[in-house]
Amino acid sequence: MQTVIRHHPDDALLLAHAGRSLATGPALLVETHLEACARCRQVVLDFERVGGGLLEAEAGAPVDDGALQAVLARLDGPVARPPPPIVRPKPPLPAGSNWPRALRHCRISGWRPMGPGMRWSRVSVPHDPQANVLLLRIGAGKCLPQHTHTGTELTQVLYGAFDDGRSVFDAGDFDEADTDILHQPVVQAQGECICLASVDGRLLFDSWIARWASAVVGL
Amino acid sequence: MSMDAEPSPDTPPPPGDAGDARPRLALVGAAGEPVSPEDQRDRWMVAVARDQDREAFAGLFRHFAPKLKAWLWKTGSSPAEAEELAQDAFVMLWRKAVQFDPARASVGAWLFTIARNLRIDRRRAIHDSWTSLDDAEAQAVADAGCGQEEALSRRQHDERVRTAMSGLTQDQRTLVRLSFYEDMSHARIAAELKLPLGTVKTRLRRAAACLRNLLEECKP
Repeated sequence: MQTVIRHHPDDALLLAHAGRSLATGPALLVETHLEACARCRQVVLDFERVGGGLLEAEAGAPVDDGALQAVLARLDGPVARPPPPIVRPKPPLPAGSNWPRALRHCRISGWRPMGPGMRWSRVSVPHDPQANVLLLRIGAGKCLPQHTHTGTELTQVLYGAFDDGRSVFDAGDFDEADTDILHQPVVQAQGECICLASVDGRLLFDSWIARWASAVVGL
Repeated sequence: MSMDAEPSPDTPPPPGDAGDARPRLALVGAAGEPVSPEDQRDRWMVAVARDQDREAFAGLFRHFAPKLKAWLWKTGSSPAEAEELAQDAFVMLWRKAVQFDPARASVGAWLFTIARNLRIDRRRAIHDSWTSLDDAEAQAVADAGCGQEEALSRRQHDERVRTAMSGLTQDQRTLVRLSFYEDMSHARIAAELKLPLGTVKTRLRRAAACLRNLLEECKP
């Protein structure tokens, strides 16, 4: 992982994450980025402090009679331990890289081909089957077909690097592409690239082969 | 904090009493100097963590439970759910008290996060969300790379947040409040403010960036 991360989630995303108000897919992407990025962990910590200030300014609503006694009575009660998170098996990654902790409760399908030198894998989030999260594994020097989006696409680079014409994205970098961005990521020649992506809406590929592939993959 | 006080869970003050100060928890420091209400809350929290002090716990409850309930209610919980979640948050505060680090966050910020996670867990109706991650591991992730934090006191952080929030324009404060604190989607904010979604997103991005910059500038 590079030591200096150059591309971060924008501040509005980090603020929403601090307030725990992101949808499942984007939250998973931001959480994965935070594991790699001390700078953004710091920003989120600062934003969380804002929540304390806002709560402090709240006028308050009367709590039920006896609420305090009820809570005090529960303090020594048995602790209902939540079941330990289920760590689900994951397909292999290139030597030297590990799955982010944020994904450990997710189900990750095996790598499936989606074109020459291109594989993908579905990431299923147990508590939210609607979340559209996937992994892309693209071979060295390969490019993803040029595409745009009907919604926002968030990408966190887990391994390797790609260049989408706007910038180079290395392991640890985060990218947000909106509907107005038409891009064609090219993986650097040194090695393959693995990205975690959350798609809100569909990717719109330009070529018919890509359209066919996207229909099969369900992007 | 008086250590010889018997825990007296059976004789709380009348309900609705939102006052912080009880006779045995006077707002006075060890050397007799007055203690600000915020410092008092920190002390209560430390007493809960270190001594399982129920008096201090009751003090925190009286101050924060009504605020927490009001916020939960306002942000989509029914009154019954808000009451239940506020109570659950305090049970969680008691059990996780040793993890509280006054240098990192105020009791309010910590409670806010606990309550919000409890509500998310409840909505998911499962327990494999991040709140249930092994505490030590979660702490390790949170701690990594936050070394420069320790240099600032909590009070300095609170001051930073106040200064930064007051440095935003009224509109920006509203946007931050709506999206972060009141749990509104961008689409709902756009409907509420009668603005196009794209405009809301742009303004929100600007407001959040402004807040971050102000927070950074306010570092002593």
